[in-house]
Amino acid sequence: MTTFTNPLETTMTTTSLDRAERVQLKLFATPGAPDAPALIPVFHEWISDGSLETDELLIDVADYSHVKAGPGVLLIGHGADWSYDLEEERPGLLFSRKRAFAGDFRARLEDALRQALRAAGVLALDPRLPGLAFDARELLVRVPDRLHAPNDDASFAALVPHIVGAVRAVLGEDVGVRVSRVAKERSDVATGPLAARVVLEGAPAIARAQA
Amino acid sequence: MSAGSWKERLGDAVPETLAQEIDVFEEQIARKKSGRMDEKLFAETRLRRGAYGQRYDNGLRNDGRGQRRLAFPSDATKGVDTVFDAPGMQRIKNPYGLVTADQMEVMAECAEEYADRILHVTTRQDIQLHFVHVEDTPDMHRRLASGGSTTREACGNSVRNITACVYAGVCSSQSFDVTPYAEAAKEFLLGHPDVQDFGRKFKIAFSGCHDEPCGLVTFHDLGAVAKVREVDGAWKRGFELVVGGGLGAVPVEAKVLTEFCPEEELLPLTQAVCRVFARLGEKQSRARARIKFLVQKTGIEEFRRLVAEERALLRPDPRWTAYLENLSGQDVAGVRPAGPLPEDVSPDFARWAATNLRPQAQEGYFAATVTCPLGDFTADQARGFAALMRRYTGDKSCRLAVDQNVVFRWLSGADAPAFYARLQELGVADHGAGTLLEPTSCPGTDTCKLGIASSRGLTGELRRRLRVLDDAIDPDVKKLRIKASGCFNSCSQHHVADLGFMGVARNVGGRKVPHFNVVLGGQWTQNAGSYGQVVGAVPSKNVPDAVKVITDAYLAEREDEESFQAFVRRVGKGHVKKLLRPLMKPPSYEESPDHYRDWRDPREFGIGDLGVGECAGEVVPWVEYGLQTAEQELDAAQAHDEAGRFADASRAAFGSMITAARALLEHLEVQVRKDPEDVVEKFRTHLHETKLFHDPFAKGKFATYLLAMRASGRFEADAAELAHRNLDEANLFLEAAHAAYARLTAAAIAAGKRPSEVAARDLGSPEAPAPSPAE
Repeated sequence: MTTFTNPLETTMTTTSLDRAERVQLKLFATPGAPDAPALIPVFHEWISDGSLETDELLIDVADYSHVKAGPGVLLIGHGADWSYDLEEERPGLLFSRKRAFAGDFRARLEDALRQALRAAGVLALDPRLPGLAFDARELLVRVPDRLHAPNDDASFAALVPHIVGAVRAVLGEDVGVRVSRVAKERSDVATGPLAARVVLEGAPAIARAQA
Repeated sequence: MSAGSWKERLGDAVPETLAQEIDVFEEQIARKKSGRMDEKLFAETRLRRGAYGQRYDNGLRNDGRGQRRLAFPSDATKGVDTVFDAPGMQRIKNPYGLVTADQMEVMAECAEEYADRILHVTTRQDIQLHFVHVEDTPDMHRRLASGGSTTREACGNSVRNITACVYAGVCSSQSFDVTPYAEAAKEFLLGHPDVQDFGRKFKIAFSGCHDEPCGLVTFHDLGAVAKVREVDGAWKRGFELVVGGGLGAVPVEAKVLTEFCPEEELLPLTQAVCRVFARLGEKQSRARARIKFLVQKTGIEEFRRLVAEERALLRPDPRWTAYLENLSGQDVAGVRPAGPLPEDVSPDFARWAATNLRPQAQEGYFAATVTCPLGDFTADQARGFAALMRRYTGDKSCRLAVDQNVVFRWLSGADAPAFYARLQELGVADHGAGTLLEPTSCPGTDTCKLGIASSRGLTGELRRRLRVLDDAIDPDVKKLRIKASGCFNSCSQHHVADLGFMGVARNVGGRKVPHFNVVLGGQWTQNAGSYGQVVGAVPSKNVPDAVKVITDAYLAEREDEESFQAFVRRVGKGHVKKLLRPLMKPPSYEESPDHYRDWRDPREFGIGDLGVGECAGEVVPWVEYGLQTAEQELDAAQAHDEAGRFADASRAAFGSMITAARALLEHLEVQVRKDPEDVVEKFRTHLHETKLFHDPFAKGKFATYLLAMRASGRFEADAAELAHRNLDEANLFLEAAHAAYARLTAAAIAAGKRPSEVAARDLGSPEAPAPSPAE
């Protein structure tokens, strides 16, 4: 496992990461989170009422709650999706940037974090979802773009400073950030997309971050 | 670090012909986006690359309170009334369901990079990815092609995925392995000039034997059943060929084209059938363009003559027989030593093995079915499947099944517990394959443009409830199969389920209510030997209770070892309908608003932006009485049919259509007499020619049932087959009448007009003449 504890000493690597449009960021729910179908009416309401307050075009809700460790319930948008994700059998709010974002990769990552925090904050306050809270100490970042971000050491090295920079830009410069590459589950299984687990120290709680 | 594009990265890994085609498609996408390509031409081109439309791609979405325009960034389109930027579906062909380990991994990558991380197994052995942007499809096609998969002609008016038994080659009851023949047919027909000018799609299926269901040939456009026959003292391989079958709105059983087609004649005869279909099949009216209508029109004798005539004209093609020289070279065998199942196993494994393991013809090997709930599995699970293939069963051991599962063949019994343990880790170790616990569903309203009711919502709920009951379910009930389709296009194949469900909508007190027509007693065995009977419509939220009522009645009233099919035939639809009657009427909105929403969907069902109708409340409009009377007349017709009084059944079925048509005419304040002649003429003038009766997608199809029945005199038919057809058509006509009434009411309210003042343009934007997504 590669761990970076002093992000200020890392340097940007010139890669094609900037051309990777797709980036995903997950905030994990704390124990006691509701079952995924409880999110269906909430996501429908976000479409009809605009209660998420996002500029993204929201289109539909897809329910995969029957799939174990699957994508759960998705709010499908044009440029991005939000989902109550069940991967690793750990529920969480996953923001997935697909397209239609003008900035560079760092900007996409920052936006992903802001969007995820905002959505998580709204969900955490929704009375229809008792027990739903998010852990502000851990993130998952994934770049599902094997062309511009193959899952290799070079891509990971290039990704780390982006993560550290984005986290500090959004949550504050004094937040401790530890980034580790998500290890391959088994040697006989093909590699998934480039992914990093991010441990935060001193990050503000989700609700405060939203504010 | 990386190449600039997938085209550069993959280079020669994409076969040259495919690479050129994909380049052309990419260029066409760019031209369409900038408005430099014809709408319909691009749509058909896109479909032939397997890139399909999806729900809301007309840019409109009902959010439960009204229809809302989705503000996509561009006004560009990718077909008639199809927004360029709207998410779509990508279908990937897997001939006879074969997926190699490499292909599985590439599809997994595409699912997580271009779609929603889910791979969906269809009822015709395809994989579908949903929520895909059309501009991502060329790269996706390149990557799939590099792994040996194609999306070419996965949709559109061409030869669709060629299907076959998942157990071909490993089955004890097969005549011989049909795999190399299906592969040869795929290679021969893909892109063949003779299959490019169809008026509609064309589906081919292979079966290794007659009695097992796996091939389901009887409802295919062309079906081939393996047979061996003694010729001059030697055993000769060949096929019984059947033609003109189909499900859809009115299911039709395929007719025998020839009882024995020698193997060397398989491809030329198939080619001849395709040429006849291309030359004589309907091209203008999509609703009548499948080959089943051509066979019905010519009669099977004349169709045989036409095919023989066409066959005689064909110039010999070496591909017809070249593959026969290497049939054994395509055999696949186990990669691990054969072995028996261990005797000392865990209870969980034993339970799974009882339903999900099937002994192969080759001793010591098993076919393992991995249950995929609603046909779905994740990209991570797909990678796990590829690893399982490489470790236990071999690279070409995996096939997708028509009941939406994944089958691993060539699993050594000795390895089965370890294989199962890995499935547990992957989260796909549910038992119950091929039973009541694993219902099959089409996409329905989740993603399909034509879906009326939520078939996935329903089957998901049934699955959840049945798995809770599990051990409490009687074994004879547990072996029944459930299939649910979101509309009459029958993509779940509900006609051949024990308990089939077909989504419809009903107007109740000015609100639409999702319903499912209950179709009972279809035959899954004997290659889908017979179709189920339509009993009547039940509100969606009452379907789980309906399943319980029907299965309880079966257990309580069956005679000896009577099968479910025999039970349904014996007691008749009338009896079942009587049992279901308390469930058929939904409670009022005030009593249960939940009945006015679909499964797993909080939106009010289908009321769009029209609000509560004027008819809401206790006042029931006269037209609803008329439609109810028509339903009762159709019940009577069904009772006549069950009693073998076919002429009475035909007349009563026609009478029910007349009653429904008259009710609608009176709703429009048209002066109409009771005699059928006047009703039919006024219906033609005021409802058909005005397009007020037109279904948004099927157009005038259901109206023509009435017009044609009257014109042909078929309403007096006393032959069983014609009476059944009359009943099926009457049933669909009544459904269409309910739908037309709902549309007229909604439009009248929206426009502030009387129903008689509503014109076709008031019914909302006419939908694109979308091809049926039925595979």
